Formats: sequence, C-alpha cells, structure tokens
Amino acid sequence: MEKILLRNIDIQDSHTLQVYESRGGYRALRKALKEMTPERVTEEVKASGLRGRGGAGFPTGMKWSFVPKDSLKPKYLICNADESEPGTFKDRLLIEKDPHAMVEGVILASYAIQSHTAFIYIRGELAFGAKVLERAIAEAYQAGYLGKNISGSGYDLELILHRGAGAYICGEETGLLSSLEGGRGWPKVKPPFPATHGLFGCPTIVNNVETLAVVPWIIDQGAARYAAIGTEKSKGTKLFCVSGHIRNPGVYEVEMGYPFRQFLEEDCGGVPGGKKLKGVIPGGASMPVLRADEIEGVRMDYESMQAAGTLLGSGGVIVMDDSTCMVKTAWNIARFFAHESCGQCSPCREGCHWMEKIFARIDNGSGEKADLDLILNISGNIIGRTICPFGDAAAMPAAAFIKKYRDEFEEHIRQKRCVLT
Amino acid sequence: MDPVKLTIDGREVVTTKGKKVIQAAADAGIVIPYYCYHPKLSIAGNCRMCLVEIEKMPRLQIACNTDVSEGMVVLTQSPKVVEARKSVMEFLLVNHPLDCPICDQSGECWLQDYYMQHDLQGSRFEERKEHDRKREIFGPYVVFDGERCIKCTRCVRFLQEVTRTGELEVLNRGDHSTITRFPGRTLDNPLSVNVVDICPVGALTDRDFRFKVRVWYLKKTPSVCPGCSTGCNISVETYQNRIARFKPRVNEEVNSHWLCDEGRYCFHALTEVERLTSPLIRQEGGLVPTDWETALWAALTGLGKADPLAGVLSGRNTNEEAFLFGKVIAKLSAQPALEVFYQERELTETEKVLKSPDRSPNFQGARDMGVSTNGGFDLLLRELIEGKFRGAYIVGEDLVSLPGNGEKIRQALEKLSFLVVQDTELTSTAKLAHVVLPATNFAEKEGTYTNRKGRVQKLNAALVPPVGALHDWQIFARLLPDVGEKISSHTPAEIFQEISRQIPRYGGLSYATIGELGIQLSDETKQL
Ligand SMILES: Cc1cc2nc3c(=O)[nH]c(=O)nc-3n(C[C@H](O)[C@H](O)[C@H](O)COP(=O)(O)O)c2cc1C
Ligand code: SF4
Ligand code: SF4
Ligand code: SF4
Ligand code: FES
Repeated sequence: MEKILLRNIDIQDSHTLQVYESRGGYRALRKALKEMTPERVTEEVKASGLRGRGGAGFPTGMKWSFVPKDSLKPKYLICNADESEPGTFKDRLLIEKDPHAMVEGVILASYAIQSHTAFIYIRGELAFGAKVLERAIAEAYQAGYLGKNISGSGYDLELILHRGAGAYICGEETGLLSSLEGGRGWPKVKPPFPATHGLFGCPTIVNNVETLAVVPWIIDQGAARYAAIGTEKSKGTKLFCVSGHIRNPGVYEVEMGYPFRQFLEEDCGGVPGGKKLKGVIPGGASMPVLRADEIEGVRMDYESMQAAGTLLGSGGVIVMDDSTCMVKTAWNIARFFAHESCGQCSPCREGCHWMEKIFARIDNGSGEKADLDLILNISGNIIGRTICPFGDAAAMPAAAFIKKYRDEFEEHIRQKRCVLT
Repeated sequence: MDPVKLTIDGREVVTTKGKKVIQAAADAGIVIPYYCYHPKLSIAGNCRMCLVEIEKMPRLQIACNTDVSEGMVVLTQSPKVVEARKSVMEFLLVNHPLDCPICDQSGECWLQDYYMQHDLQGSRFEERKEHDRKREIFGPYVVFDGERCIKCTRCVRFLQEVTRTGELEVLNRGDHSTITRFPGRTLDNPLSVNVVDICPVGALTDRDFRFKVRVWYLKKTPSVCPGCSTGCNISVETYQNRIARFKPRVNEEVNSHWLCDEGRYCFHALTEVERLTSPLIRQEGGLVPTDWETALWAALTGLGKADPLAGVLSGRNTNEEAFLFGKVIAKLSAQPALEVFYQERELTETEKVLKSPDRSPNFQGARDMGVSTNGGFDLLLRELIEGKFRGAYIVGEDLVSLPGNGEKIRQALEKLSFLVVQDTELTSTAKLAHVVLPATNFAEKEGTYTNRKGRVQKLNAALVPPVGALHDWQIFARLLPDVGEKISSHTPAEIFQEISRQIPRYGGLSYATIGELGIQLSDETKQL
C-alpha cells in the first residue's frame, strides 16, 4: 500500500521546509491558489470522501460547505492538535515529523472557507511538537506561504499557534473554542453550531491534524485517487496507534477496511509472551471495548466497527492480553474521565465520579453485585443527556466493560479480589 | 413576529418564532422544570432538568435551548422525560449535603420543591460525598456554601451580563467544580444580593436575613420599594410585625427581576427606630407629651400666625398624603411655599442599571399633587436658610441631619416663630419643633407612589403601626375640617378617587386599575 500520511516521516529532517518541498510539498497549495476557486477545493475534498479523523468521522468537505459564504463576520479555521484521548498518539507523530503537511493543509482549508486567520490549538504537554510547529510556521511565512498575498495570489492568511493548558476537554471542539477565547474550557451548548457561530461567535471550522494533513495529497493527486482507496463509505487511509500488550506497538497507516484480526496478528506481531488476546479497545479509551471473540470479521472502517458495537474513534488501538484485570482497567478509564469531566453539566459532573467511586470500591473488594447494574443505569442516565459528547465518551466504555466481562466482575465481587492473581 | 404552531403534551400552542420551547410552554401554562435557565440571562443549558422529548429527535432535548418550529411535537410528561428528570435530580443530590434543617433556603429551595414534584426516591449513592467550603463570605451581604451549590452558573452569568462586574467564576473541574471570587475581589457591587434571589438553592444566602426566621413563617405583602424613584416592585416579608426582608417582585416595566442592595436594606433605617407614640408639645423646659386634640390645635394656630410658611413633604409620602398636605398648607398661608424633598447624587455605571439618583420614591407623584410651588426643593431650602420664612411644617424628613447644610438648617429652624414636625421618631429636626406629630412609615400604610417615569404603583400595609401614631394622611385629614376644608374621603382609596377627579393626569384611575403591577400615566389616561 502506498503511504499517504506517513510518506515523509522516515526521511531525514522531514520536518524542514526544504525536505518537505523537495518531496512535492506546497505544490498542492500553489496549484489551488492558481487554478482553483475556494469552492473547487471544497468540492475536491468532498469528492475524495475524506471524513474527519478527530473521532466522529464527519465528512470534511461537507463540513466546510456549512460555512456561510455571505457572512460579514470573519471566518476561522482551527486545527485541533489537542490529542489527549488515551491510547492516541498519531497527531503527535505528524506534528513532530511532518509539520508542513499540516500547515499546508491548514492553508488549503482556510482558503476553501475563505478564512484569513487560522489557529493551531496544540495540547500543552506537546512542548516539543509546539517547537517544531513554531519553526515550520516561521519557515512558511518566510517562504511566502503564509501572510499577505500568498504566492502572489492575493490571498492572505495569518496562522497562530496556541498552546493549551492540558485539559482533555479542550479537544472537544467547542471546549477548544471557549479555551481559545480565553475562557474556561467549557463546551458550548449547541445549537448554534461552530460552522455559523464558532470562535467569538464567528463562522468556524475545526478539523483534526490528521484530517488536514491529508488534504494537500488529495489536492495534489486528485480526489479520485484518494476515493479509490478504502471501502465504499470509508475512504482513504487512516492512522492507528497501537499500544498495550502487542509485539510491535506504534503508529500504522492502514487502508480503510483492512481486516482487524490480520492487522493485530500480522502487521503488529500479535500478543507477545505466549499470552492470549483478551480484549481490544479500537478507537481510544472512550470507545467500547471488544472481546477477543468479537474481532473476528471486523474491518478497520467506520461502518464495520459500528456494526461490531464499537466505534473507530481516534484510532487508538489498546490491546489487552489475558493477564489484564478488567475491573482495574475499567476503573482506570473511569478515573481518567472523572478527572477530565469539565463539570459543567449535572449528569457528567456527578455521574463520572459516581461511577469511578463504585469501580474503585469493586476493585478493592467492597463491591456488591447490585453495583454492576447501578453503573449500567448511571451510564444510561448520562448517555445522550449532556452538553457535549464527553458524557457518552465516559459512559460507553464503563458500560461496555461490565457487559462484556460481567463474569469476571461478578467473580471479583464474590471473591473480593482480583481473580487473575 | 411570525406565528408558530406547535403541539405540547397534545395541546396546540401558538407562539412566535424565536421563542424557546420552555418559554412557549410556560406561556401556555405548561411548566417545564428548570434550574439554570433564567429569562434575563444567557442560556447555559447545564442543569439538564428541562429535558423534553421532541418527536423525530432520537435524544431528549433541553427545552431552554430548543427553538420552537412549525409543527413541532413536544412531550413534557412522557415516561422517558419523567425518568430523565428523576435521574438529573439524583445526580444533583449525589454530593449534596442535605442540610435542610440548618439551611436558610429551606422552604423556598428548588431542590426541595423539585424533589417533591419529580423525584421522590431514595438515593442510591453510597459513596463518600465530596466536601467544599461551607460558609465563605463573598461580600458584605452574601455568603457561599459550596456543598449546596448545583453549579447552575446563574450567579456567574448575572455578574457578567447584568452588573458587568464579574466578581465570580467557576473554579476546578468535575465534581470539584466550585464557585469562587477572582483573587482580590469582593462581591460588593451595588446589586450584589440579586445573586441570592436567583440562586435556586441555599448556596448563596443573604447575611442580613439568614437565621432570622424560617421562610414559611413570613407574611408577604406586595408593595413598592421606598429607596428611590425607580419604584422597584417588592414583596415586604414580615414576621411578628417586623420586616425580615425585601424580595423583588418581577415587573418588566420597572425593575425586571432585580433590586438594588441599598433599596433592599433601606427598611432597617426606616422602620427600626425608637417610635414616637404620642404627640409632643413645647413647654417651658422642652417637649412634653400631649393628646392629639391639643397638639393639632396648637399646630394649626401656631402655623396660621407664622406666614410666610414653608411646607416640606417627604419623598416617601404617598400621593394621597401629598394631595391632602397641599390642601392643608393652602388654607394656612396665602402664598404657600410647598416642596417635596428631592436631592440627587452621582450614580456609578452599575447603579444606573436600576437606581435613580434620588432617595424620594414619590417626588414625581407629590409634584403631580401640587406639592411644588416654590421652584424646587433646593430653592426652598436656600430660602429657609436665608430666613425667608417665619413658620414651617416639615413631614418625614430630618433636614438637620442632611450632610453639608445641616448646621445652617438648624440655625434657620431655631429662628422660626413656629415649627411643626411630623415623623416616626424624635429626629434632630423634631427636637427643634414646637409641635411634634407621631406618624407611620411606608410599610404601615396604604397608598400610591408615582415613579420617576410616571408609573403609579400601589403601596400596601405590611405592618401594624404602633398605638398612638397616625398615618400622615390621617393627620392631614383631621386638620382639614379645622382649616375649613370639607372632606368626605376617609380611606386612601377614597382619597385616590378624589385625586382622579381633580388631577387630570390621574383621571379615570382607581386602586383596581393600578393592580399589583401599577399603571403607566400617559396622555390617554389624561383624557379619561
Ligand atoms: C471529549 C472529546 C475530546 C476530543 N478530543 C479531540 C482531540 O483531542 N483532537 C481532535 O482532533 N478531536 C477531538 N475531539 C473531536 C472534536 O470535537 C471534533 O469533532 C474534531 O476536532 C473535528 O475534526 P474532524 O472533523 O477533522 O474530525 C474530541 C471530542 C470529544 C467529545
Ligand atoms: S458532558 Fe461533561 S465534559 Fe461535556 S460539557 Fe458536560 S460536564 Fe463538561
Ligand atoms: S439547598 Fe435546599 S436541599 Fe440543600 S440543604 Fe438547603 S434547603 Fe436543603
Ligand atoms: S451559587 Fe447558586 S446560583 Fe451560583 S452556581 Fe451555585 S447554585 Fe447556581
Ligand atoms: S434549564 Fe435547560 S438545561 Fe438547565
């Protein structure tokens, strides 16, 4: 398979403008500014079938077309580089190794929606990535790809790098907007939606790093080539971050629709140390876990994952072998969400901590059988009733662990200790 | 305004475009419970109490942020909705201390009320509750209990959007979220106590009121704030014949939902005084008690011989009183110099949200009644100081204690040949009088005030006056026959009828038409 997203990362000094340009970088931008109207760029991305890689898989070109053309307000493009989903580290690789692909993608997307101010909101902990990006942005300004009258086209764009302060919720797009506006990272009630009322109340598009980084390739090579890769509804390639009990962890670029079992066993080398696979979270900690017996026939695309009762999410594949205590794992994940809930809306603020406390109690041997149904019920009372999808993200995995490993939970409760040790 | 037709709980509701479901429902008398929503604040959508079912939408929607649309079908009582409310209530109570027995909000707490209406189940929460600050002083009048707070952010939004002073913000995340002051800030803006009114629970309480009385013992009388001429609508809440607190009454034409701190607490100075319960008359050696008959007769004869005569009425006197006062003075003096107390001061930007620059709630009404014959109060005061008058009748104002001119006024009053002072207590001014008549305060009487913008509003008696004191209007009514003016009205309502007959601007009005929210004087009412 031809590498698209990871095409540059193994090259020496891939983060520099010189190397990026020598490999065809900024060709797409020059082409777009010279030959394509903003609408054409949007149409091309629509035709490619590209869907957002931030987790929700929303069609990117369609999202861009929601920006009102006749608005008198400024428009903003924001690259979401807050990557904090446990088990996810793909954006970080792109930021550190191929920052110019991102920057070029940001410029193309900004041009498409006719934004003249763009932001990259980078997770606070990614200090090195921020440095790399800062340098890449400076280089792009110097080369005339940013600033006034880009490449003589008359199009202007300022790109601002903003470092977050380390809150998972600031990756949720409206939490990000609040944070960028200088407020608490509190998600906003919708409607209105960011495409019409985003940053400072102006039309705004938020896209993930991986989404934007592939746009130059699509414009350069044409939508048809991209659309030819993948499945009918999940086009192109996607990055997967593999971690946990796996022989070869790391970031993989995979054609959409690739068999999941084959991926884990062959591409990633399978579970090491003679242990058996117990479960795998396919899309970051907020997605429901799959039991080993459930991955048979599952393919790595949006539709197949959904059919299997989980979601592709951010592509953070967390592999667990049969030595993993699922009670502890569920508690660990619950603790993460309890800690990261922004606290704005009642079900999530109170429910996440409540579930976390019950998991902790079960883990330390003071659980009761009724606790399992209580968690399922709390989780059900959170899902779909919150301001932002964080509530679902916290409630879904909690419920999934109990539903899929109920026997282990019940045994743990009965024996008042972990049954694996 | 485009009409929109929708169905709520099977009832057809016609409303206007742009309304939220929660408003459209409320207008139709369908109550959807809520905490964070407030009609005067931005939509926060955080409590989730207002979740309703909307046909064709897979998830429940919050009624406070859902725009009505043509043909929309809303269910506010479906099993799904009822169950969701229960669960929101359960979440809100997870970390709640439930210290109702010692909580000042108890009895008017939305958690308690909604628990009875929408929850009624035991808690399934058996873990350790999170703790927070229990009694942090936020400002001179407001104290905060973090454990009772439901994080609805009404207080934060009020301070950002209405006063624009922004003292408070949310701090921390998750169930450690709490409300806090910005470093170095105190919640002391001139409208600060409104946060207590809008806090749906016992998290923000009124330091002046708390622990004085359980709210269910309060007697509530609708009235008008005597603080300034904005005329904010209030509920005077009393216990054992004392005022426990003022609460704002909603009147979008006047004060919306708000009350200023100065007005809210003005009852202390106006009512908590050592009351006069008998008329006093000057004899050798000072003022001595006397009976009403003697006092009134002495007052009349004294004043009748002291032309030129100045009459000063308090800005807190009602229209009915002003009307009669004008008639009394007119009989006593050929060229009566009559004015209602009126002085202005500078207001800050926050004060201007609500306050008027005076402390005379009824200066406008008094002037309408003719208590303004001398070119304004300032001129009258200057002439008084210059010694233009020989006699004076001062009602309800302690002129000697005015900042600035007080001493000069004292000297002028001392030189008068006759001075009558009518007040609730023995003020410094009253001490100089030849006759002192014991009167009642704003909370003890019935009558009307006309605010700065010409809105006539009703004052109602919330307290029983002390034996021995008379209302100002009663005193004037007793003086009138003695000066040869026939009077046939014996209650404030009857006096007001007389006003509506004699003063064109008030033509056609009555207590019934004024109602609880007042009535705006306009050119049309003039014609009536
Ligand atoms: C709790 C939460 C955290 C999120 N974190 C991220 C993130 O770190 N990076 C990201 O790109 N999207 C994140 N998202 C998704 C964004 O809200 C948004 O959908 C995405 O940035 C849109 O970009 P895309 O259309 O390119 O996928 C998060 C969503 C939620 C609910
Ligand atoms: S769902 Fe959770 S993270 Fe999202 S707004 Fe509500 S409290 Fe905040
Ligand atoms: S806030 Fe309400 S429920 Fe809580 S202690 Fe006070 S009265 Fe009770
Ligand atoms: S203090 Fe009261 S008004 Fe403020 S957020 Fe808490 S509950 Fe709401
Ligand atoms: S009133 Fe609608 S969410 Fe609080």
